[in-house]
Amino acid sequence: MSDKIGIYVCECGPNIASKVDIERIVAEISALEDMKDIELVVKPYKLLCSVAGKAYLEEEIKANDLTHLVCAACSPRVHDSTFKEVCKKAGLNPYMYKIVNIREQCAWVISDKEEATDKAIQYIHSGIGRVLYQEPLIEKQLESNPDVLVIGGGIAGMESALNLAGKNRRVFLVEREEELGGKVVNYKRLLPRQGITVSSIQNKISELNKNPFIKVFTSTELEKIVGFLGNFEIILKHNKSGEEIELLAGAVILANGSKEADPHDFQGNEYSKDDEVYTALEIEKMYNQTEKITMKNGNIPQSVALVHCIGRKEVGYCSKVCCNYLVKITDYLKELSEKVKITDLFDDICLPEKEDQEYYEKVMTQVKSVRITNSRVEGSELHYTEISGKESVIKPDMIILASALLPSEENVHFADILNIDQHESGFFLESHIKIKPVSTNTDGVFVVGSTRGACGISDAVLQAQAAAGNILTQLIPGQKIIPEVMVSEILEAYCTGCKTCLEVCVFGAIYFDEERGISVVNEAICRGCGNCVGSCPSGSIRTRHFTNPQIYQEVKEALR
Amino acid sequence: MNPKETVLVIGSGIAGMEASLMLSKAGKKVYLVERLPLIGGNVIKTGESFPNMECSTCLVAPIQQEILQDKNIEVLTVSNVQSVSGKAGNFDVTILKKARYVNISACLGCGMCYPVCPVSQPNNWEQGLVEKKAIYVECAGSLPNVPVIDSKLCLRLNGTEECNLCTEACMFGAIDFSEQDELIEIKAGAIIAATGFDTIDASEIENQGYGKYPGVFTAYELERLLASNGPTEGKLRLRDGETKPETAAIIHCTGRDLVGYCSNVCCSYSARHAHFMKEKLPEIKIYDIYTDLCLPDKHFQKLNTEIRKTKSTYIYQSDPQKLVIEENAGKLKLNYLNNEQKSTSLDVDMVILTTAIKPAAGMPELAELLGINLDKYGFLQTQEGSIGSICTNRSGIYAIGCAEGPKDIPSSVVQSSAAVAQVMNLLEN
Repeated sequence: MSDKIGIYVCECGPNIASKVDIERIVAEISALEDMKDIELVVKPYKLLCSVAGKAYLEEEIKANDLTHLVCAACSPRVHDSTFKEVCKKAGLNPYMYKIVNIREQCAWVISDKEEATDKAIQYIHSGIGRVLYQEPLIEKQLESNPDVLVIGGGIAGMESALNLAGKNRRVFLVEREEELGGKVVNYKRLLPRQGITVSSIQNKISELNKNPFIKVFTSTELEKIVGFLGNFEIILKHNKSGEEIELLAGAVILANGSKEADPHDFQGNEYSKDDEVYTALEIEKMYNQTEKITMKNGNIPQSVALVHCIGRKEVGYCSKVCCNYLVKITDYLKELSEKVKITDLFDDICLPEKEDQEYYEKVMTQVKSVRITNSRVEGSELHYTEISGKESVIKPDMIILASALLPSEENVHFADILNIDQHESGFFLESHIKIKPVSTNTDGVFVVGSTRGACGISDAVLQAQAAAGNILTQLIPGQKIIPEVMVSEILEAYCTGCKTCLEVCVFGAIYFDEERGISVVNEAICRGCGNCVGSCPSGSIRTRHFTNPQIYQEVKEALR
Repeated sequence: MNPKETVLVIGSGIAGMEASLMLSKAGKKVYLVERLPLIGGNVIKTGESFPNMECSTCLVAPIQQEILQDKNIEVLTVSNVQSVSGKAGNFDVTILKKARYVNISACLGCGMCYPVCPVSQPNNWEQGLVEKKAIYVECAGSLPNVPVIDSKLCLRLNGTEECNLCTEACMFGAIDFSEQDELIEIKAGAIIAATGFDTIDASEIENQGYGKYPGVFTAYELERLLASNGPTEGKLRLRDGETKPETAAIIHCTGRDLVGYCSNVCCSYSARHAHFMKEKLPEIKIYDIYTDLCLPDKHFQKLNTEIRKTKSTYIYQSDPQKLVIEENAGKLKLNYLNNEQKSTSLDVDMVILTTAIKPAAGMPELAELLGINLDKYGFLQTQEGSIGSICTNRSGIYAIGCAEGPKDIPSSVVQSSAAVAQVMNLLEN
């Protein structure tokens, strides 16, 4: 079948028609010198995106047996998908069509009608040049596995598992330690606004162990994982017996938590384990295990200093939870002793949830609040500078430090095997800071809880549910996955096996075939970004629908 | 209509839009109800977003566009929910779809109708900084890009005279005065309330001079002054529209004591505001008057530190309640207590008040018709005894985004996806 290109010029009411000369466009495009061997159908239409316009276009494609279609209309952002749909309905491969923007880029930005018309003609010419080199692309369908691997048995991981497991979806929950529960089970209690007790978290553990659709692997770590959304191949390894377990899953939730920093690493703090200096987590554990908060001699402290923001400047972020838990620890101290004198030393008070300020105001009565700019622990002494610049030293019975939350050291390993990015802090990076907060740059891999950034229990729980929401709507049991069709392909004959493309691919979509000595694109992972195309020294990679000839023709005509 | 396959989302801000798109992708039919004539919520009022200074329109417009083109999502603008009965999995909902008087499928958004309209009114969406006509779109780039006629002000609709100017100006015959309010009855398996927030009235705060001195602005007014589709097309000017401020002070925590909570987003957007004020007017001198800095995210502190070094002088005030703003010979004078509790003053041309977030207007009515509780601040209450919950006291109804309490965009989106998980589990099982 010989080529027959349909070119439809949308008037967009007066939007285009009043600003460019539609008649001249139709006349000049019909008479293009370099297209004289190709059959062109060039027609204006008052409003292509209207219901009547779409029906008209569909009929035109069929009646004229068009092989290619160019719509000279508005921004592709507005109606590219509209016309693609029309192509599909009319039986024309949608990759054989091109939209040309003569509204936002011509009519609306050039006041001189002749100039705007000239530009529109050039753009349409360029679009015809390109569309002739376009090739039909066929969408593929891949089977997908609805099961989910959750890494980390803390509150975020457990919540993820409980929200996902069901008769059509199994969850594999992997925990490195011998017990589920994470950090939270060490706490004496939670914040009042969190509304539950630590024992209800214990209940979650038993609920989880009883759930027939959740398989828990304790003392187990993720050894290896390859694949993509819908199809991950996983190897787990028992960290005592060394036994390996092979699994398949469609998505991964990483919830490996964070850790409390050692205050010795910051601000010149120097103290030994004989000094009455504790971190907040140590106090939580002590109160939880012994029902008391005591000094090393077993006595209840009569004076306590609470110090906020340990390491905040050094790590470069606020740890979000410390102001709140120091209020809770104040609450503990007051219930253990009515006489205890508490001094609270802080740089800023950060209470970002609506109920936090009320709790703070209720508990922090009769507490001496001191605004400081820096502090240092030396033995059992606390040296600090008040905001007024005054230097002071105090030696209370006990010093409690709110030390920064740090990313887990395993994050480097997880970033590597899951092919996800870390933020410069060492926490994981979301695929979009604002609108994809629990997704990563690898489709099907989600990060939740404090491994994503310091956060409290409520945030961790909500993020876990959010990741579950993503998986429940993306990986529907029995439904196939349609991967991107505009992907890269490597021409075997030209590939020299230099592996440059493997380094530039941010999605981990290219692997090296040792046997053949060439790089190969996994089309299910590739997003068609084109990084590899630009990096290939032998020019052996092309991205479908963005091939060099296509772009060259488009640019050539635009610049003619 | 199978209620198990249908979800009602109330409010089309970022939380409502994200939830709708996710549910649609999973094959659910979504009714997205929005009381305003445009979708997008508060996010589209911001020129750029914190902390990567990404253009908000570029971020949100594709989402809005996707919503409008999604066949599973029925967008009902200028609409509100009238009644809800039934139970989780099978709610009966009545929606009042008010007449727009402009045919949404015939209108192209060419903008020929509003210049000819003889009636003007303040544009509250633009924080009252400019006027709009009786037939209007709220701002350039409104989506759907279709105007609406205010029936109380339109001379023809309120019976003043047979004005026909917009009809004559419209080349598509899209103006339809015969359009009637419509009651739509649907069945829905679950309901997500994502109705957003308002901010407190700055003139209610004593000694801050808002409404009294023209140089005092709210941060939400500044937001529109900085936005390229705003009333000044992104030029930073005082209220006369011409004078460039040479000095400005951003006051943190305006009204925090009044509402009793931290609004969560002001410290971060203030850093962004300082950045863009300096970008628009490189000579401007900016001060941030603060007491506590609340920057609870891994991305935030570094940017704030950078802004403090290069764009704004941060001044600690020891007692926000002692701040008094006066006007003296055209200059604003800030009197405050400094880090040594000493009374100090600062002269500036412009003051920006970071007004506290409060529950959106109409919250009590919404709560009543949904049969759910409000918390003590007037936000929608989520279930007690369940950490990090977006479930309300009525099964099958979820509260997300700033309807549940002040929060930033990512936290709203997290709640949005969390609600989707609950809805999917409720309707699939």
